[in-house]
Amino acid sequence: MKELDISYYLFQNLQKQSASKSFIENLSKWSSNFEEADPLLRYEQMKQYEDDSPIESSFDDFTNYSNAWNIRRSTVLNKFTTGEKLTIVSSFLPGGEKTLFRQVSNLNEKVKHRLEQLDDFEEGSVRKTMGLSQQEFIMKINVLNDEIKKAWESEQRVKAFKIGIQCSKMLSDVNVMQFYPSKFVLITDILETFGILVFDRLKEKSYKQNVIKDINDIDPSSIPESAKETCQNWLFKMASIRELLPRLYMEMSLLKCYVFLSKNEIKPTIARLTIMIRGIGNPLVAVYLRNYLCTIAAKLLGKESEEFFYNNLKEFLDEYQQIFHPMMKKKYEVQLFTLDKYLNLYVPAVDWLLFGTLNSNKCKLTLLEELLQQCEKMENFELLLFCLVHAFDSESVIKKAPKILELVQKSADKMVMIGDILTSLGEHLCNAENNRQLAPEALIQTWWKIASSMKSTFHFLQVLEPWIQFACTHLSTQHVNIILRGTIRYIIKCGKPADEFSGNFQFVIKRMLKSIPDVEELFLMDAFMPLVELVQTSSARTMMAKTVLSIFFSRFISVTIEDLIIISSLMRLCCILHDSINAVTVEDESKACAELINKFIQAVNYEDDLEQQLNFYVECRSAFIKLDAVLVVLVYAVNRLAARTGSRGAGVSGVGGGGARWLQRACAAYCFVTVPSLHCALTRAHLYLLSGQVALLNNCIGQAEANFKALVGLIPDIPEFILEDNQRKPTHIKVSGIISDFLSTLLILPDNMDTNCKAYVLSGFIKMIERIHWSKSDPLYYNTLLRILDLLCEMTQDTYAYHIEAVLSNDKLYGSEEEFIQVLDKHATNICQELLVVLKMLGDAKETKKQYNLALELFWRVVRRGDLSKAPMLSLAANLWILSQKLQDSNNKMAISILTALKNDPASQVLLRKLEETT
Amino acid sequence: MEATAGEIFKKRNSENIKIKLKLYEIFVIHTNELDFFQETIAGVVVVESSGDVRHEGMTLLMEGVVNLQLSTKNVGIFEAFSNSIKPINLLNTSLELVPPGKIPVGITDIPFEIPLRARQAVSSGYPGLLETYHGVFVNIMYTLKCSMKRSFLNKPLNTSCQFFVQYRPQEPTPVKPVRCEITPATVRAAGAGGGGAARASLPQFQIYAEIDSTVCPLDKPLTGKIRVDECTVPIKSIELQLVRVETCGCAEGYSRDATEIQNIQVGEGDVARGRDVPLYMVLPRLFTCPTVTTTNFKIGTLVELSTFCYTLCK
Repeated sequence: MKELDISYYLFQNLQKQSASKSFIENLSKWSSNFEEADPLLRYEQMKQYEDDSPIESSFDDFTNYSNAWNIRRSTVLNKFTTGEKLTIVSSFLPGGEKTLFRQVSNLNEKVKHRLEQLDDFEEGSVRKTMGLSQQEFIMKINVLNDEIKKAWESEQRVKAFKIGIQCSKMLSDVNVMQFYPSKFVLITDILETFGILVFDRLKEKSYKQNVIKDINDIDPSSIPESAKETCQNWLFKMASIRELLPRLYMEMSLLKCYVFLSKNEIKPTIARLTIMIRGIGNPLVAVYLRNYLCTIAAKLLGKESEEFFYNNLKEFLDEYQQIFHPMMKKKYEVQLFTLDKYLNLYVPAVDWLLFGTLNSNKCKLTLLEELLQQCEKMENFELLLFCLVHAFDSESVIKKAPKILELVQKSADKMVMIGDILTSLGEHLCNAENNRQLAPEALIQTWWKIASSMKSTFHFLQVLEPWIQFACTHLSTQHVNIILRGTIRYIIKCGKPADEFSGNFQFVIKRMLKSIPDVEELFLMDAFMPLVELVQTSSARTMMAKTVLSIFFSRFISVTIEDLIIISSLMRLCCILHDSINAVTVEDESKACAELINKFIQAVNYEDDLEQQLNFYVECRSAFIKLDAVLVVLVYAVNRLAARTGSRGAGVSGVGGGGARWLQRACAAYCFVTVPSLHCALTRAHLYLLSGQVALLNNCIGQAEANFKALVGLIPDIPEFILEDNQRKPTHIKVSGIISDFLSTLLILPDNMDTNCKAYVLSGFIKMIERIHWSKSDPLYYNTLLRILDLLCEMTQDTYAYHIEAVLSNDKLYGSEEEFIQVLDKHATNICQELLVVLKMLGDAKETKKQYNLALELFWRVVRRGDLSKAPMLSLAANLWILSQKLQDSNNKMAISILTALKNDPASQVLLRKLEETT
Repeated sequence: MEATAGEIFKKRNSENIKIKLKLYEIFVIHTNELDFFQETIAGVVVVESSGDVRHEGMTLLMEGVVNLQLSTKNVGIFEAFSNSIKPINLLNTSLELVPPGKIPVGITDIPFEIPLRARQAVSSGYPGLLETYHGVFVNIMYTLKCSMKRSFLNKPLNTSCQFFVQYRPQEPTPVKPVRCEITPATVRAAGAGGGGAARASLPQFQIYAEIDSTVCPLDKPLTGKIRVDECTVPIKSIELQLVRVETCGCAEGYSRDATEIQNIQVGEGDVARGRDVPLYMVLPRLFTCPTVTTTNFKIGTLVELSTFCYTLCK
């Protein structure tokens, strides 16, 4: 049923915003339905959907209150959950008796059991269902909710009424206290359903078809007698409920029906109910009852209801000591509750009362003063104090902060909830503008006195969180450092392993990192790193390191880190992070780690001390060997460093020349050694190329050649597809990019004089291409051949198109020596033949487009690079042209542009004539 | 069997006559004091028949009776004078509606109006017209009967209906607040004859209660407050009980019977000490009546407060 409701709602929603939002967004909304949500949360969401549907009231106060309440209601549902078994007593739920009489021991019992079973056939016998889990309980409540509606629709109004009474009776049961606030929320929902049913019926009786939207539009004088009579009857019925608690709840749920009789009666009725709640002895039950009354009043009266909030608060304060009644103590102790947990149950209700009170009150400070004085006078004021600190606005609380601290300090030894009070106070202080009236030192001192004597480490850390932020923003680093030292001392003294509190530690450190004006200063405090490393287990440490690093880098503004202390601290953290990575670490996790470490590596800068910088990189390599991404960054960084040395070496020239050369070689060696340990062949190829180029730039020919040779050897290993973000991606484009980059670098690479082979690396590359099993029709293959052809042609030139200043290229080395040219010529001929083979193959495979392109490309090369004065070359060109013209498809722009280029060139007139002849 | 008899009867007479009595207002407001301002019972007698009806006259009888009944537990004692527990007649007026004659076929409406007036011949114990009341032992009822006498072969036709007498809302009476204190001592005094053991186990307590007025209009709630100043044992519940006391009897003796009409809780659990807890009870309309005292019977209401305590474990 419920699922359907949600989908229906979603469907409507979908229609509403169909145009504006993308389909994907809607899809995700649909799919969210399938994700398993926390049952309470789901209930809550459902409720919100329901709440959203009616047209929003035009009265801001009403919506304000209902919104405020809805927020509170969801926090209550999320916060107060239990694993304990619950009990439900109702005569309208099936299947209860089985649990109750499961254990039947003797004959007598058996007879009794049988009789009970017979009784069950009668309507209205009360059954008790025990041992319900929280979720089952919620389910039952939902069943009851539906049952009310069903009963109402089938004219069984008395049954609906009875269900309402039974439900409200459940609220007198404070067993499983932990769940009480949530139970309250669930049950008041049922009561509300009931209230709405009664109200709607009366409305229908009064107005028939004329739908009146708002309660405020109803005029009692226009209501027919019969409707009034019915209304009166309902109210009489409520008034004659024997038990107090159900009577009050039911009267409240029908409170809005008074509008049919007389609007003037609402307020006196609320006032009457307010004092009638005094009759409820259990303070927990009473305070939630007040809560409900105020919620109802707020819904009905909006802004005007605020006096009732205040009245109820006053009533609550008058009865305050009931909370600490020995009876209650006995009750919560039976459930193994501690006092502070018990008091926490009151917080949502009192907070709600205060919320309304504060809304009405103009002068909050006076009210706070008044209430604080009241605190001072009474015993066990912690609950009230906490609620005050929690509910009041920061401005007033900050003004009264010294007073509050004084109060706490005075009775700190016998007080519970200190942690909560201080935390809340701290949060308020964090909101403080730089206020001159504030005396942060004094506040912190008092606070530390209280906090350092706190017994629970957990609470201590909780309190520390906001206060450390306050200290960071308002005090000097020295002060903060003192607090940190104190914290370490406290943790050590408490005798428990710090790991138990690693979560809290993390929060504390997060707050610090986020709030301190200058992040770098943190590392300059001598207590910071020891605090971070206080936790011992590796997982906790990793989390800590990750938190620190990520926040540090997100807040880190300047580009470089130069301070040695910071560098070493960060290095330490990065090491922790890196060490946590093992074979089972998920990919995303190590990616995130690598990202953080990379940020660190890129930020570290030793300025002029290049050697130190290289040492740092060496250290990093050994420290972060497990992460490829880091190694890649390191290679880049080292190459950058080498390039920087080169440019500086050139600038200063001679002076530091020897040192610089050494460093350049070291860098080149570093790269050459580091690259092979990477996994991805493509990356390796890329880095080889880059390192080779940088080495060449620095005139380290040997190193450059070694890199290039490695690259040539690597090319066959590059897979056709690589996995990137879990998608197979083709490597073709990248490989062809690398190859053309490589080939253009080869032009200026001088030959190795130790070998007899001319154009050593290039020859090796050509051989490799022959061996490689690329399909011949692959564009990658023939394009590579074309490029090699280009390179070969360029290499025969007397002077190459470009040079590196210090590097002696082949043009200078050989000076167009015959032998060298012949080698090149041989290669070129081979490649041309190979290309013609490819051309034919493409023709056979009917790949016309490819064939057309290749023919034109080859034609262009033959025309530009070949010696056309020789007949075979000219006829080759002509044949290629004819082939291309034959294949010509619609897009022959390339052919046209080639032709125009030829026409402008006087040298190719012969060719043009030849072409004209043939065509 | 009866159905067949009826059919035979019908065949013989070949006619079907129904008479009905309709009152314009079944609630009659009555004022005892003002004699000249008389209320009337007005209505119509409807005769419906399939043929002409010949009759020997129609009469209307207005009756008001107090029925007294003895509770079963007291019967033994009172059997001796049970004769004296006979209905008390408050009102007995008859009037001839139609002289003997013929009523034509179809539906005939005969309107009437009877003044509601207390019996003139006032005997010593005559209480005047009382409000309609339905209790356990005392019933005050007003009926209007119509009968049509017919020729001697035919049975007379009868019909009747009830009407309710209510008093005119009175001027608000002065409030008469009442205060009381309950302590072990007062309880002991009240139950002086009770067993000693029960008294001995009473815990120390002091309760103060106040009822705003002992005289209160029936349409307004009963209000007051209660305060527990001291109680050594935890309180389980505080309840407000509305009790009706009906006393029947005569000079020889009487039986006094109390029945609980309504019981509502005003305090649940161990309420805070020294706090005024309000008492608020809406009076149930059907079961209450104003206090009435006559020589033969008496109806009164009583409010009882009970505080249940957890008994000390022994």
